[in-house]
Amino acid sequence: MRRARPLLGTLVEIGAAGENAAPAIDAAFDEIAAVHRLMSFHEAESDVSRLNRAPLATPLEVDPRTYEVLSWAQRMSALSGGAFDVTVGAKLVALGFLPAPNAEGPSGGDTSFRDVRLLPEHRVSLCSRVWIDLGGIAKGYAVDRAIEALKRNGVEDGVVNAGGDLRVFGAPQPIHLRHPEDPARLLFLGPLSDTAIASSSGCFIEQSEAGDQPDPLVDPRHKTALRWQQSVTVIASRCVVADALTKIVRIAPRRAARILPELGAEAIVIDRRGARRLAAAVGEAHADRMIGAET
Amino acid sequence: MRLAQWTWLPIICVPVPAIAVPAYAATYLTVEQAQQTIFPGQKLTAANITLTSEQAREIERRSAVNVRKKEIRLWKVNGGGFFIVDEVLGKHEFITYAVGLNADGTVKQIEIMTYRESYGYEVRNADWRAQFVGKNAAAPLKLDRDIKNISGATLSCRHIADGVKRVLATYEVALK
Repeated sequence: MRRARPLLGTLVEIGAAGENAAPAIDAAFDEIAAVHRLMSFHEAESDVSRLNRAPLATPLEVDPRTYEVLSWAQRMSALSGGAFDVTVGAKLVALGFLPAPNAEGPSGGDTSFRDVRLLPEHRVSLCSRVWIDLGGIAKGYAVDRAIEALKRNGVEDGVVNAGGDLRVFGAPQPIHLRHPEDPARLLFLGPLSDTAIASSSGCFIEQSEAGDQPDPLVDPRHKTALRWQQSVTVIASRCVVADALTKIVRIAPRRAARILPELGAEAIVIDRRGARRLAAAVGEAHADRMIGAET
Repeated sequence: MRLAQWTWLPIICVPVPAIAVPAYAATYLTVEQAQQTIFPGQKLTAANITLTSEQAREIERRSAVNVRKKEIRLWKVNGGGFFIVDEVLGKHEFITYAVGLNADGTVKQIEIMTYRESYGYEVRNADWRAQFVGKNAAAPLKLDRDIKNISGATLSCRHIADGVKRVLATYEVALK
């Protein structure tokens, strides 16, 4: 049984087999809706919006789920040397990718993920005026939560696909990747089981369509928007990790090559030269040369 | 210990055979299933309406979304509320979806009924088609059965968001 609902700014599809599939799918959608509600940059009452307007250096209690996503985000930031950073919200607003929140403007200057302090009891404190955007990681987390809800409700084989961030468990399922330059072409990844896959690309942006934007990926180290002609897919055990890693592979491929194995993940890059996977090998590291100079 | 070096390797030794899927479709719910999903155990009564030109204009004014069809597929829910089947047409995708409205006109639930995506501009182009001829002959794809989980999808719910705006304006103008 498969169902789809519009959530997280995309179409979320959930598939499950078994007698209890229908209520399990409902429970899984509820989890995704909760993540949407808690972590939306747009909704004034989300945890993210509350943080973005909270007084500085004043601990604010957030939902354990928001706290968990922030914890993952901080871990990915530390591992990537700041290539992943959820405090890029202000830059995304400045570039027009996100609407300005009704909150005091960011301090400017040298702000980063280090200005977000995670305290005990799900409290969060901000050391400088940053705008947090969890758009680069919350979708993967939502997929993980939905998968857990399916399992909790007795589903043995399931899949959750949130606009390309997907995770499967149980019986192997065929997984395809879309070709970045030609969305009608699909690459067969194989029948996969107990795996999370996230894709990130700047290639489907159709400039001709009014209102569309260039790819909203910001390099936190330079606070510039990237324009990109490739798609990066990361395969990992958790979708939250895969989601964040797609950004790190794009922004800092050389560093990504070091941290992917630490996280038990691998990456596949697709561009007009074909599909390649970032894999262990003896010899020179060509990662940066292959997918664009890393500064 | 020397750290392992990493490099980009071809994903497989032969060129990756991309399969051409000019159309992709998924069916999730029939009308009856969608009704039972959104309003379980409730009795629904068909109550289709046709908008007047004035109503259509007013809906467009309020929602800033075109009213493509004046015929509204509407059901009334015993005990209050409405069930509406609507469709949105994106650049490549065609989505039929159901909206359940509470008695006060707020959205109770949205369910996608069918999703279709096609790349007609490419399909019409014979040269484009020719490059794939024969590739799938040995194992023709059953779209509904074999192509299910696509990562890197373009799926956008912007058009659905627009459609729901139009449904809510329709409620205000014609159902309230």
